[in-house]
Amino acid sequence: MVSFKTKGPFFRLYSWLPILLLIISVLNEFNFNYLNLKYFSFNFPFILIFFFTLKEFKHFDYFFVFITGLINDTVVGLPLGISSLSYILICIATSYFRNITIRPSPIKDWFYFLFIISLINSINYSILTLFFSFELVLFDYLVNTFFTFLFYIVFVSIFKIYLKGLND
Amino acid sequence: MASSRDDFIIAIRSAFLKKSTQQKFSLLTLVFFSIFIILLSSFDLKAIRYVKIAINEIVYRSSFVVSIPENFIKNTFTEIKDYSTFFTDYKNNKEELNILRSSNISNEIIQVENKELKELINDYVSTSDKILAKIIVDQDSPFLKSIIINKGSKDDIKIGTNIFDQSYLVGRVIEVNYKTARVLLLSDLNSNVPVSIAPQNVQAIITGSGGRFGEIKYFKDGFEKVFDEKSIIYTSGTGGIFRSGIPIGKIINKSSETNDKFNIEFFSDFSQLKYVFAEVITRTNINEDIETETSLNEDVVKKPIETKLKILEDEIKIIEVSNLKFKEENESLKTDINNLNSKILNLENKIFSQKEEINQFNLDTKEVEFLKMNLYYGHKCRRSFFNSKGFTVGSDDYKKCVLNKGRKN
Repeated sequence: MVSFKTKGPFFRLYSWLPILLLIISVLNEFNFNYLNLKYFSFNFPFILIFFFTLKEFKHFDYFFVFITGLINDTVVGLPLGISSLSYILICIATSYFRNITIRPSPIKDWFYFLFIISLINSINYSILTLFFSFELVLFDYLVNTFFTFLFYIVFVSIFKIYLKGLND
Repeated sequence: MASSRDDFIIAIRSAFLKKSTQQKFSLLTLVFFSIFIILLSSFDLKAIRYVKIAINEIVYRSSFVVSIPENFIKNTFTEIKDYSTFFTDYKNNKEELNILRSSNISNEIIQVENKELKELINDYVSTSDKILAKIIVDQDSPFLKSIIINKGSKDDIKIGTNIFDQSYLVGRVIEVNYKTARVLLLSDLNSNVPVSIAPQNVQAIITGSGGRFGEIKYFKDGFEKVFDEKSIIYTSGTGGIFRSGIPIGKIINKSSETNDKFNIEFFSDFSQLKYVFAEVITRTNINEDIETETSLNEDVVKKPIETKLKILEDEIKIIEVSNLKFKEENESLKTDINNLNSKILNLENKIFSQKEEINQFNLDTKEVEFLKMNLYYGHKCRRSFFNSKGFTVGSDDYKKCVLNKGRKN
């Protein structure tokens, strides 16, 4: 994590907010699924991790991302390590994308996000069905990917306000 | 071309290996960690199991604490919704309660009979205790449907323990920790339950759909036409994972015209569960050692006798309860009869007085008629100086004469 020797505790808490939000979201499964809207579901941790590892990776410790993956697996009931692998793969993808990008564009980010979550959900689905014999509905994964993609732009606009506050 | 490939390799290498100053681990290390954990978790080693149990305990409790605000909002919303339909629900519940009370006693008798018959078939007696368990984590994942309860191996919960909402089946335990356990709900895709469908008495297997409904699968061809929307589904007990005769749900509709799948509406609403019952079963053999007379000892003999006595005691209790009920009914019927008798008496009195009134009225009418005729024909019948053949006023002959409108020669 970033060193905040010169900053106050409030600022430190503020800079930890994304990680705290990530931990809370995996513990609480913040995804509005209890609304019981048919087919509706999205993956908030994917959005959070993608955005912050792409834009503010210095304040976003990969090790914590790894730990939240383990927590998510425990809460959801998946085999341990699956979500960690997914989250770390997002981190790798964003790290690569950051290195090759000269002029960042929100639209490019958005579609790159779609590509990455589709890839990761496919890996996830394959591991769970092939190695762990889970019965899963592929359609649910597709819908989840689609809504996560749609919600990305909504949450990004909120996260940008946060980043503005952090940089000011 | 070569430089673009170099750029790609540099970017990849940077993404995987380069550890910035604030990061504790490189991403490649964390990927290896993840794969290592996935592999480890697939092995059922004792040490790994204990570590997993410890992680589960900590994470479930943390999840419960973190979910408190959200659960509070959710519960408040549900309570407000409940208040709006409170009166209607109350009326419906009252009616339902009356019906259920009457059928409860016969059910209890059937249960005892059932227990006795099972004992005859299986040579063992199942005594089950239902433990109340609180749901501490209910994260409605879009892919997996499971809940976490606050009872674990400490409370004799085992893998496969049946979980109930009232008397309806909710699911079974698939993971046991020391003080917590994970329950796979019937709505999960990985849940398969052998069931009987009544009244058609068809054996089938139901699976979850991942949504709010279940699906009937694997039943014999040709039976799809006999199902209707009144068909009730309960566990058949085949396979020994679920106890037989537990109600699950009812058929609501055929999922589509092209396939033979049927949707099931579960009796229990899994999204509204707060507390559930875990059934801890202990089996006691009653007939063992009967054939081997040499190893017969008093304790073994005592056990079946005690068990049978217990069953008989239970039966007596139920009979006593039903007797009490019949007595109460008898009393109420007697009271009803008394009330009716007193009503009849009152009505008879009323009829008598009305009859008397009618008689009096008839007499009065006759009198009036006589007086009227007396005015017209009295002079023809009255004995006088000019009418020596007349009758004395007030005599019967006089009356006859007046009524005959004068003397007839």
